[in-house]
Amino acid sequence: MLKVGNLSAQAGEKTFGYLETAQSRSGLRLDVPVHLIAGAEPGPTLMLQGAIHGAEIIGSIAILDFVAKADPGSMRGNVIAVPVVNRAGFELGTRGSLVDDKDISRLFPGNKDGSVSDQTAHIYFQETITQADVLIDFHAGARTAYERYVLFTAEEDPDNLSLMEARRRKLVVAFGLDQAAFFPPGTFGSGKSKVAIEEVDTLQITLEFGGGTGWFKNGEANVRDAERGIWNIMKAMGMIDGELEADGPLCTVYNAGVVIWKPAVDGLFIRDSKFRDELKAGDVYGRLVDPYTGDLLAEMPTPKDGIVIPSGQEWPTVGATSIGILGSIDRVEDRRRMDLSVSFD
Amino acid sequence: MKIGNIEAARGEKTYGFFKTGETHGRFPVHIPLHLVVGADAGPMLVVQAGASGLEIEPALILPHIVKELDPSQMKGALALAPLMNTPGFEFAQINSPWDDKHLNRLGRGDADGSVSEQLIHGYYQAVIAKADALVDIRTGSQWSYHHYAGVYQDDDQAASQALAIALGLPQVLLGQGADDSMAQAAARDGLAVVVAHIGGGPGLRDYRDRDQSRMRNAVLNAMRHLGMLEGALESDSDAVAVIQSHSVIKPSAQRGFIFMDKRLRGQQVQAGDKLGTVRHPFSGETLEDINAPRAGVMLHAGASWPVPPEDTVLAILGDLVEQREFPG
Repeated sequence: MLKVGNLSAQAGEKTFGYLETAQSRSGLRLDVPVHLIAGAEPGPTLMLQGAIHGAEIIGSIAILDFVAKADPGSMRGNVIAVPVVNRAGFELGTRGSLVDDKDISRLFPGNKDGSVSDQTAHIYFQETITQADVLIDFHAGARTAYERYVLFTAEEDPDNLSLMEARRRKLVVAFGLDQAAFFPPGTFGSGKSKVAIEEVDTLQITLEFGGGTGWFKNGEANVRDAERGIWNIMKAMGMIDGELEADGPLCTVYNAGVVIWKPAVDGLFIRDSKFRDELKAGDVYGRLVDPYTGDLLAEMPTPKDGIVIPSGQEWPTVGATSIGILGSIDRVEDRRRMDLSVSFD
Repeated sequence: MKIGNIEAARGEKTYGFFKTGETHGRFPVHIPLHLVVGADAGPMLVVQAGASGLEIEPALILPHIVKELDPSQMKGALALAPLMNTPGFEFAQINSPWDDKHLNRLGRGDADGSVSEQLIHGYYQAVIAKADALVDIRTGSQWSYHHYAGVYQDDDQAASQALAIALGLPQVLLGQGADDSMAQAAARDGLAVVVAHIGGGPGLRDYRDRDQSRMRNAVLNAMRHLGMLEGALESDSDAVAVIQSHSVIKPSAQRGFIFMDKRLRGQQVQAGDKLGTVRHPFSGETLEDINAPRAGVMLHAGASWPVPPEDTVLAILGDLVEQREFPG
């Protein structure tokens, strides 16, 4: 039997409910919606996680589409699918939770004696993530950006991979996108939550997939490709049978260590660079202009040579997050020559 | 020509801030304003955008239109406000944070009201009340994507309709919804008024250049139509559909993920046709189909992002009055 807190599913069964977590001062219950799909046969546990940042919802829709089609009777192992982790952020279209102004994704393993988000993170982490072999964590460009790559943790020694790193290499490619990236350690802080997830032996890959600025044209295709990726991971993990489907045979993996941040001045942001543009140090990535006169306030040069990875701000105002990320090609994986199956026996 | 302390002689253009006061924290309450005064006498056109602090894409192009204008080759005067709600822009919100007022819900403003009401009162009297025509550019903010022109019913609709057709957008809606905006007040005061709905965040990545070209066409076409500039009207549309007696569809019974069928935009639909779906955001079940309440033509309008704020327009359906080739 698959059991998550107060929820459960028998082998061959698919259930839905709310994982009881914490309650805010006004009485809002922030219980997390969870689908449990318990395969008829034993196997690994895959966890799907959407909208831990409240406005990053492309993965959420793909998860729901996947759940609707999933047949536990023909499945090996279990799926724990959470379309929206951060309900308060989802409601208000914000990254974190305005209940206590915290970002749940930064709080793992959580704190049972902390604020509402700390408590939610604690229960959620203990009940779901700790029993997953693989966690697919769907992020996106919210309403202000557009992205399309698989993100994963940098490997300690690429010539001497740990078991988890070796498995992750395969799953990153198996997901089916044509681009993936890792950030050198420390690029975006300490990664405390990532460490907590790895310490409970859960393999995490993150999708930076879709976003509001590209929704009108690409939304349906993004959701479709995100769902395709879930099925691919299931196949690679041996949970279902079938051939993988992908953008193409190749997956370019970037070492994405060049981050462009907002300069000291601010104004209207104009992004000049497009995905895959190859920039030399000093080339202009984007500009800030006076919002009332159109006069140039500042150019944003790239500090190093790099290729624009499929990520970055597009909405004309920028905040505290990075504006763009560039990288160098670390390797190009060829799906035709790789065995992408991953065993968790 | 003098508006507040912004002054331009014939054949000149200038830029400044139309200011009516300061907040408690002594921040200015003002509207950035360009004035372009033609060498010859003619009508006065007001072009304004960014009354919502989240409708900021017009500011990427409007100042550049001013730069390209040569006042010596122009008749009349252009007053152009590329981004009216400066504090809303600052704090990334629709309303002015100084008093939580929407600048386009205050009518002609109020000399004795809050700082935003005072600002709009001063601006309306100094700028709009002196003009012959107004083009109010609005976008779909971060949720919707638009491409049509709206005309209020209150005014001398013939002049506004002619101006709207001239802008070069593919659809003109007669009967822009009452909203107590500056534009509606201006229409009631007898100006030729068009609300140009162009662009929005969901199309920003793929259609930014096209949207800016449409804004540029709209402004320059308005000037050409009014006789302020020489030259033929320009558009990326071959035809203009004039639509009236419309119905606005907003979220009603169910909330969740809302998916509207964008392929129906510009198409004739029948009563009962499925326009969209509401799905439970956590269970995934279909909660409601959004069906056409009547037959009609779908406007290039409405929400696109699946979680729009309350009261967002999902779709507009209207009756086709006429379809005409765009007057090039």
